[in-house]
Amino acid sequence: MTDPTTHLTEEERQTLADGTIGADRAQAARAHLRACEACADDVARLERTIMRGRQLEEPSTDVGELWPGIRSRIESTKVVTLPAEPAARRAARPLVAAAAIAAIAAVLVIAVWLGVRTKVGTDDRMASRGRPDTVASIAFVDDSVRAYKEEAQVLLDRLELTRSMLEPGAAAAIDKDLAVVDSAIAELQTAIARDPRNPELRRLLATSYREKIEVLERVSNAG
Amino acid sequence: MKRIVRAACTVFVTAAAASAQTRPAAPILRARHAAPTVKVKVFHVAGSLTLIGWDRDSIVVRGRVSRGDGFYLSGSDSGVKFGVESRVPEREDPLPCDLVMYLPRRAQLSVKTVSASVTASDVSGWFYSVSGNLRLSGSATSLDAQTMSGTLDMAVTSPWVRARTGSGHLLLRGSPQDVDVATVSGTLDFAATGVLRAQAVSVTGDIHYVGAPARGSIADFSTHSGAVEFVMPASASGVFTLSSMSGPIENAFRQIRPAGSPTQGMRITLGRGDSQVTVRTFKGAIRLRTQ
Repeated sequence: MTDPTTHLTEEERQTLADGTIGADRAQAARAHLRACEACADDVARLERTIMRGRQLEEPSTDVGELWPGIRSRIESTKVVTLPAEPAARRAARPLVAAAAIAAIAAVLVIAVWLGVRTKVGTDDRMASRGRPDTVASIAFVDDSVRAYKEEAQVLLDRLELTRSMLEPGAAAAIDKDLAVVDSAIAELQTAIARDPRNPELRRLLATSYREKIEVLERVSNAG
Repeated sequence: MKRIVRAACTVFVTAAAASAQTRPAAPILRARHAAPTVKVKVFHVAGSLTLIGWDRDSIVVRGRVSRGDGFYLSGSDSGVKFGVESRVPEREDPLPCDLVMYLPRRAQLSVKTVSASVTASDVSGWFYSVSGNLRLSGSATSLDAQTMSGTLDMAVTSPWVRARTGSGHLLLRGSPQDVDVATVSGTLDFAATGVLRAQAVSVTGDIHYVGAPARGSIADFSTHSGAVEFVMPASASGVFTLSSMSGPIENAFRQIRPAGSPTQGMRITLGRGDSQVTVRTFKGAIRLRTQ
């Protein structure tokens, strides 16, 4: 055990560091630490990590004390000041509401009539443009793309920080995959610039960003 | 085609079993008692790792470790970790070695390798490799497998499966229920049966689907520039919503020309329309073929 070329096992190092090593093995293991600088350094590092972990277990500030401040900040953002409404507009409100209901009913009747007429014979063709849900769909997918983009940037920054610690071959594989995904994203962005109201293109862009995030998330496993 | 896939699975399982039986058993590195749902964490750098689920309340690891490397297995009945590490200062990583582990079927694995290949049967959990090939088979409660440049072959029965490859081939067989598979540039072969929910994505890799969508199932296939090809029996039933920005759409079930608009799309109802399949590509071709 005191032979400096034969090191302590993972288990021995871990249990030495957290103090759970059996009494029968403790003496020999400590003797090895005195003779082996590598094991001694590793155990010291583990001890420091455990110490830091134990300190973190005791929060320096009571979370209960912080909560009122957090709550007041959340509540303050909920309040929206509305502009003052003229009395004439308030009086006209029932008429406007009735007109709106009538308009919606008319639109529904026309939509149902058109739906019945177009169902026959148009099963094979889908028109994505001009649908009433297109604008909402684009907005929804745009939100996803924005969120994916931000997440991808965070993960890219993390990749640069951890690149030197990656397993051999992992960095090359990640770079290759990222190049493929980035090329797809660039093509889609060009296509969207030409056809900005196409929700299918935006869905494909969101999917590509999601793929990019998944590639980047694998970086944390490759270290 | 179903018969061919079934026969291929049988040959694969038989060959794997025969090979395991004819190979002389390596010495036992460690054996210990374990709870049925023990959590097992494995880190194996290079060589091979075979994981076999069994009906015993113990863990057994067999293998030969190179001189200068050490095998470690530590933990308790409810959680263990094991692997091989270098114990000589001249090299950081251990040399390649082959390990075989037997563990309770309901154990939850967390496996990570660098270049080591993994073959696992009747086990569940998370599998990750940088360049190693992963081959998973049998029954599992859930499987999450990823390899960056290796290949992934899954022939499993499981309620939930997630699989990812970078440039490697991804093959999905068996009967998983809920499937989420993706590859960046590898080919994705989807030959699983009875899938109820599926999402298959690639960036440049082709996607091949063989079989018939299960009744009531919902599947979504998406690729940027890969081709998506469905080979289905004439009895297949489903509503297929196909769209490609610039790729051709070919349908062998009915003679339909794709629309000439920039957004090419068509909706096809096969049989009674018992399933819903959506296919979306940017410039990859979409083909529906009969078996």
